[in-house]
Amino acid sequence: MSESSRPPETTVNRRTFLKGLGTSAVAVASAQAGAMADEIGKMAGPGPQGPGAVPVVLNINGKNTSFQIEPRVTLLDALRNYGPLTGAKEVCDRATCGACSVLVDGKLVYSCMKLAIDAQGTKITTIEGLAQNGQLTKVQEAFVECDALMCGFCTPGMVLATTALLASNPKPTMDEIKRGCSGNLCRCGTYPHVIKAALKASGQSVTDNITVLKYERVA
Amino acid sequence: MSGWPDPSAVLGKPTERIDGPVKVTGQAKYTYDVQPDGWLYGMILRSKWPAAKVTKIDLSKALAMPGVKAAVLAGGEQRQVSYYGQELAAVAATTKQACLDALRAIEVEADPLPFVVKEDDAMKPDAPSVFAGASNVKPLKSSEKGQVDQAFATAAAIAEGELRTPTQLHQPLETHGAVVAIQSGQMTAWSSTQGISSVQEGFAQALQLPQSNIRVICEYMGGGFGAKFGPGAHGLLAAQLARMAGAPVKVMLTRLEQGLAVGNRPSSIQKFKIAADSSGKLLSADITNHGSPGISGGGQSAGGGSGANIALPYVYKYPNARIQQFSIAMNTGASSAFRAPGHPPASYGTESMMDELAVKMGMDPLEFRLLNSANPLHQREFKVGGERFGWAEKYKKPGSSPGPIKTGIGCACGNWGGGGKGTKAEVQINPDGTVEVRCGTQDLGTGSRTMVAMVAAEALGLTPQQITVKIGDTNLPPSGGSGGSSTTASVAPAIWNACENALAALQQQTGTPDARGENWAAACKKLVVTPLTAQGEWQPGLSNSGTGGVNFAEVEVDTDTGYIRLKKIVAVHDCGLIVNPLATTSQINGGIIFGIGYALYEERVMDHQTGLLLSTNFDTYKISNIADMPDIEVILLDMPERGVIGIGEPAVIPSAGAIANAVANAIGVRVHSLPITPAKVLAALGKVPNMTKV
Amino acid sequence: MNSFQYVTAGSPEEAISLVGKNGRYLAGGIDLLGMMKDYIVTPDVLVNVKDVKMAQPEGNAIRLNGQAYELGALVTVAEIAAHEELKKALPGLVEAASEVGSPQIRNVASLAGNLLQHSRCWYYRQPDIVCLKRGGSTCYGQEGENKYLSLFSGCACISPIVSNLATVFAALNAQVNVREDAQTSLYSIHKFYQEAWENPAAHNSLKPQNFILNVSVPTTRARSAYRQQSEKREFDWALVSCAAAGNVTGGRITDARVALGAVAPVPYVVEEANQFLEGKELTAANAAKAADIILRDAKPLAHNGYKVPLAHALIRRALLALNS
Repeated sequence: MSESSRPPETTVNRRTFLKGLGTSAVAVASAQAGAMADEIGKMAGPGPQGPGAVPVVLNINGKNTSFQIEPRVTLLDALRNYGPLTGAKEVCDRATCGACSVLVDGKLVYSCMKLAIDAQGTKITTIEGLAQNGQLTKVQEAFVECDALMCGFCTPGMVLATTALLASNPKPTMDEIKRGCSGNLCRCGTYPHVIKAALKASGQSVTDNITVLKYERVA
Repeated sequence: MSGWPDPSAVLGKPTERIDGPVKVTGQAKYTYDVQPDGWLYGMILRSKWPAAKVTKIDLSKALAMPGVKAAVLAGGEQRQVSYYGQELAAVAATTKQACLDALRAIEVEADPLPFVVKEDDAMKPDAPSVFAGASNVKPLKSSEKGQVDQAFATAAAIAEGELRTPTQLHQPLETHGAVVAIQSGQMTAWSSTQGISSVQEGFAQALQLPQSNIRVICEYMGGGFGAKFGPGAHGLLAAQLARMAGAPVKVMLTRLEQGLAVGNRPSSIQKFKIAADSSGKLLSADITNHGSPGISGGGQSAGGGSGANIALPYVYKYPNARIQQFSIAMNTGASSAFRAPGHPPASYGTESMMDELAVKMGMDPLEFRLLNSANPLHQREFKVGGERFGWAEKYKKPGSSPGPIKTGIGCACGNWGGGGKGTKAEVQINPDGTVEVRCGTQDLGTGSRTMVAMVAAEALGLTPQQITVKIGDTNLPPSGGSGGSSTTASVAPAIWNACENALAALQQQTGTPDARGENWAAACKKLVVTPLTAQGEWQPGLSNSGTGGVNFAEVEVDTDTGYIRLKKIVAVHDCGLIVNPLATTSQINGGIIFGIGYALYEERVMDHQTGLLLSTNFDTYKISNIADMPDIEVILLDMPERGVIGIGEPAVIPSAGAIANAVANAIGVRVHSLPITPAKVLAALGKVPNMTKV
Repeated sequence: MNSFQYVTAGSPEEAISLVGKNGRYLAGGIDLLGMMKDYIVTPDVLVNVKDVKMAQPEGNAIRLNGQAYELGALVTVAEIAAHEELKKALPGLVEAASEVGSPQIRNVASLAGNLLQHSRCWYYRQPDIVCLKRGGSTCYGQEGENKYLSLFSGCACISPIVSNLATVFAALNAQVNVREDAQTSLYSIHKFYQEAWENPAAHNSLKPQNFILNVSVPTTRARSAYRQQSEKREFDWALVSCAAAGNVTGGRITDARVALGAVAPVPYVVEEANQFLEGKELTAANAAKAADIILRDAKPLAHNGYKVPLAHALIRRALLALNS
């Protein structure tokens, strides 16, 4: 089949592509919002919010923090770009890698796939909220001791995943550790040492699988 | 003997990374995290066509949108695009959302052109020409020695096969990107890079600014694996946007963009015909490789850089050999250097065929390698590893394991050059005894920051925790890029030299014969108020090049489902003097994990109908997960007398070949392409009627 | 993402009223938000339904009601996977839930969202491709990269269903309780997905405004099992999955139901195979025969033929697992 005889049917048609304008969507939404507000009586919440920036209050690491953001801002985006908390990382933005992991009411979640406005009323814990008064947690210490970090970009998510695992399963088996951290990807290669760190942090014995042999000069 | 102390107090001891605490608390600031005052978000508009003649790019509507402060073209308005994802324009705005809206308001008109995105399609005689008028297939270096065909005629056994590797994506967790601030001709750029100097040089050239006006900073970076050199299109666009907006602009790529336009490992189609004589010695080889580096022309350099050339013949020597390599152009993103360029595919192909030939000869594959390896490092590593792995007890003839879950074992080797030079460093000793070491090198996650602290600590009789290390800034004494596994070999000797100079100066200035250890505080106090600074640079005699490494792999293959479970990998590597066994092991673990992904999961998938990328994120471009981990044992051969070398790339070479051989040993037939998926295993076992060639 | 309004609903009625013509319900958001980021769906309002009060059972409740477990629409996949009673009564359901995504996804993914999730075909999900399912004119999977696509379909779209829970619910003969405007309807799994079998543009038979209240799962099949095979060990979509359920006494199976996932736009059930198994000894040979029947009409494409032997193996394993 000749490629040139059939133009690809993509969002690009044969000659042009013109993306929908954000402004027109805003105009439509505003008109609808007005109409809806008139119709709706008792509501569970404060009524439709947005699409423009609205006040959002999030409880992060025990502190109430105020934002003025659009509903479409994710929790990850709010933490990093509207707040000073860059510990949670943007890596895939599609809930496939775990680098954005935070705890919401103690549960490990992907902050890239949660709207900030939808996280109101919850208790959010980020990596910055683990160590108290500069004192590393057991999990953080174990990560450093076992070299469970390399470039460090996956590390905040991994630490939170391990922390969440041990909170619900204080003495996990190796398989349980693998499963507990299975939502967190690493490219540098920390997995074996993350497993060691989780075992160590949970007070379990760790086998050393490194041998250093000294050899004489190769002729 | 090398110039390092023996015995050593610090070198060779497992040492925690000094940047561990800032990484585990989320305090480490990467380029992605940098936020200068008034910074703007920047995003890139990319071609949605795999090939097209662009006739119009209208930025006016985008510029008029709320929050948008700049919009620029990437190249002219009328131009040719040659792959899906090629840069067309960029915008800067106050929020990510405003950028996304602005991108969607840019109007582009283009006439689509014919394209090709699959190697087999590109090689057809009637394929669309990627470069007008030229064939898509370009011959690269070829060589011939001896009497190849005559030798085949006398061979005791011949093995033939075609082995394929896919295009592999680097996929560092931190995407490519830069933050650029320009004011009155002075520029500061934070770049996620393996080479701050390369970024500085690239910016200077592209923007016509003096290099001394450009400062590049990279204190922490989230992985590179070979692709992060130079400012990149994203860096240059950030600079253009920053100029236009009059504000710092951060352009960090999305995960989709990582699959399109920042480099990749070229694919390979390797055809082997190899033969051995009756004693089992390798006799003759006829090897052809067709590889695709995408849109880039492909280089002539064997084993380095980004060309389609792979390192053939790999490791094993043939008295008669014909090697021919070809580069295939396609309308896909250009390849770039990728952790041990040319070696993982060559090791996979070569080692697969070594097993095939060994089996044809009726020989144990490990014995076959020991017979044919002229590399004394490999000889040792195969023997040490084989013993630890239990090769002799475990080895069974291919496919003879009882099913339906069959076990098998395999091995493979790799070698690498490494080595380094040309780094400068500076040491400052303060009257209070604290020490700061400065060097313009980078730490990609390799642990080089800690290596610097360890070398300084060794020289000065301190602990690594007592050393403050400043790296990742072009204001610091220059070093080379962190590629080619050259960082330790380049940097460690320079640090050592600078510290020796500093120690000598301290001792001389303060009249202390030996200022190390318990004399340190008193000696430094004698400096009164003036810190002492000393320079140093790379010296010969402390570093070397040339390393080897072998992997042994054990797998279980479920012959009903095709699923491969890795049970165990034993890795034996050498890299001269091992500075930090802890970090070196992490590097080797990392290389193995990369190799596992290459062997079993990773493949950049293009669609031949639309020319677009289908493996757009980690759910479709599959990298190893923690749950896929086998038992890994690492044996490090410490050779202090060789000096420091490098481990980053050697670590990634032998795993795929070992795993592929283990699978073939388990099921008795070979899957001839990576990744070895359950689908291919079932097909190789003859269970898929419409998939017979695997 | 496009701009939208965000509003929280207190009841199913309010939710339906608020979602309007072009809105979407927001529970866990794992599927919805991802699609919005790629502009595959562009709702003008998101209605948060996590606080919706529902009648028995509550939205986040799992309760036994006579001979069926009722699971509220807002129950998370993690809650199903950890439920001790369900482990005993409906082990296949717990196995299926345990294989969904990753811990982070299971923690927030709702039962309703899991059933309603859109196709994961990479042509559908590619932001710059408008495939047949998205309103274009071509199914690119037919001639393209189809290693993950369907063996069976009633229409020109060959993207397979990926919901683990839908597959096991099909084997357990579950029913979905759905609020449509003013009335409530009960959907069998077959009816719930029938539209996706016939209509290339559909992922299920519901309209986006329809509000799932709960899923009712009979406990009348005492044995159930779910088996899937992915390329990676965790956090990877199933290449093929199989759920089997029934009653086993004296080594013979009754009320057998077998469903395949990831091989068709719907959980794939062949009644003839269920009938064949009725009263038979649950042996490897009979399991194989059932598998032959189920796979008889498979139409392998260029790259997904492996799904046939793989499905065959999973059917045998899921059925034989019912013996214990």
